[in-house]
Amino acid sequence: MDFLLEGLFQAVQLLIGGDAETYSAVWATLRVSGYSMGCSLMIGVPLGFCLGYFDFRGKKPLRTMVDTLMALPTVFIGLLVYAFLTRNGPLGDFGLLFTLPGIAIGQTILALPVVIGLTAAAVESMDEKLRIALMSLGANRRQLFLSSLWETRQGILAGAIAAYGRVMTEVGISMMVGGNIKWHTRTITTAIALETNKGQFGMGIALGLVLLAIAFCVNVSVSLLRKRN
Amino acid sequence: MKHAYGGRTVLSIEHLIVAKASIVGLRGPNGSGKSTLLRLLGLIEKPVEGEILFNGQAVEPFSPEGRFRISLLPQEPFLMKRGVFGNVAYGIRIRGDVRDLTGRVHEALSLVGLSGRDFVQRPWYALSGGEAQRVALAARLALRPDVLLLDEPTASVDIPSAERIREAAFKAREEMGTTLVIASHHWQWLYEVCDEVFHLFGGKILGKGRETILFGPWTRFDSGLWGKRFGDQHFIVASRPPSDESAAIVHVGSIEEDNVRVDENDVVLKGTITRINLERNSGRLVATIAVGHQNFIVELTERQTRERTLFPGKDVFVHYCPKKIRWV
Repeated sequence: MDFLLEGLFQAVQLLIGGDAETYSAVWATLRVSGYSMGCSLMIGVPLGFCLGYFDFRGKKPLRTMVDTLMALPTVFIGLLVYAFLTRNGPLGDFGLLFTLPGIAIGQTILALPVVIGLTAAAVESMDEKLRIALMSLGANRRQLFLSSLWETRQGILAGAIAAYGRVMTEVGISMMVGGNIKWHTRTITTAIALETNKGQFGMGIALGLVLLAIAFCVNVSVSLLRKRN
Repeated sequence: MKHAYGGRTVLSIEHLIVAKASIVGLRGPNGSGKSTLLRLLGLIEKPVEGEILFNGQAVEPFSPEGRFRISLLPQEPFLMKRGVFGNVAYGIRIRGDVRDLTGRVHEALSLVGLSGRDFVQRPWYALSGGEAQRVALAARLALRPDVLLLDEPTASVDIPSAERIREAAFKAREEMGTTLVIASHHWQWLYEVCDEVFHLFGGKILGKGRETILFGPWTRFDSGLWGKRFGDQHFIVASRPPSDESAAIVHVGSIEEDNVRVDENDVVLKGTITRINLERNSGRLVATIAVGHQNFIVELTERQTRERTLFPGKDVFVHYCPKKIRWV
């Protein structure tokens, strides 16, 4: 247990001391998760709304597929994205392999089914009376869509948090697509994996504490938002 | 127009005209199509066949001609997850005309008997069912609609709220010329307040008047005739029904104080007057006669109205002709 306590002590020192390597990993994580969450929400929320709102042929199989994709292993996504972004791959010319945008592409693929599936679930559980009320008050199609989204905001927020949790804690995509390059593509999770392998528990624990702190801040913000709503 | 769900026709109406600034009632049992008809008239759904014209123009969901001018108040109170002010102001805001928004919200709330000062900041979850339905009505009245469709407006609310809702609706008609279409199980009230009352059954309009519709199951009597019992001593006879699910449309004639047959083909029923209403449109008095557990509505003659010999609690006789019973 001594090495863990020693590691915890070192972690506090690194964080308070503003260790550049530690904070580089934190900043890389925040950037890449920001990109991936932004993209997955922009694409996923409208798609999820359509999937939950409209009735169409093939809806059930599509819904099943989305729910299945929620459990995609990160290493599998990493493998696929790597194959596409590598120099010989179809998107090799864009030079995205071993970059933060490259990781963001993989994390977007990871987060999308979660956002789509949970948004669809929130919309499906929407009371039919809401649509009637909005149309009775004169909403056009765009207003119906936006107002319905606003009314289901709690469910969509829950989906976003679940997606964010997956994105923040994944290792496979960051490792395979990012390459874990120090100062560039080393994220919190890949750094923890590397430092633990090296026996450097201090940095690993420090980064783990930062990860916890980020998750805590996100959940507190959401709780405050829920209270306000 | 016709409308269907999952291939099953739920509404089939050849034609229906609702005059401007009139009050029209829809009566019928559960599943008769009243709510479906209101949703179609409210442009919430589009009929699978046929069309709806508003002021001569074809309209459908999201039509600019119908938006803000036709509004439906559903049976169950429902508010958006925002405060009372947000709910009442919603329609005004999306219309884009936000002049004196606060004043208009307060005015709409006062129409339904709610104090703006006390209610305007309340969240949606802090309202009783009656208050929520009144806020929902206020949101629609704030738009000053040309047509207000009310689906069982007082079914899910307490008595004071029901009274306020009725008053607000009729005030809208008086002050704004709003056309009202009301679906209700309280048919005595409908006949009291409406210019016309349409009777729906099985998705069709069977008539507009005081006919009584009787539902199965039907019993075959020893005489070979078919009919229905209303309690131990009372029953009605008719020809054989097409099926057990068939309904019979019965037109009951005038009220007699003695057991006399007006026509030799008539059958006489003994009942008790339970209520006498003033019919708004015609200005005539109509009586509700309880024959066993079945109610019939009969218009009083001018003589009966003048002489005032009929009153609730009095035993009377009504007659009908079995041959004139229509099966649907």
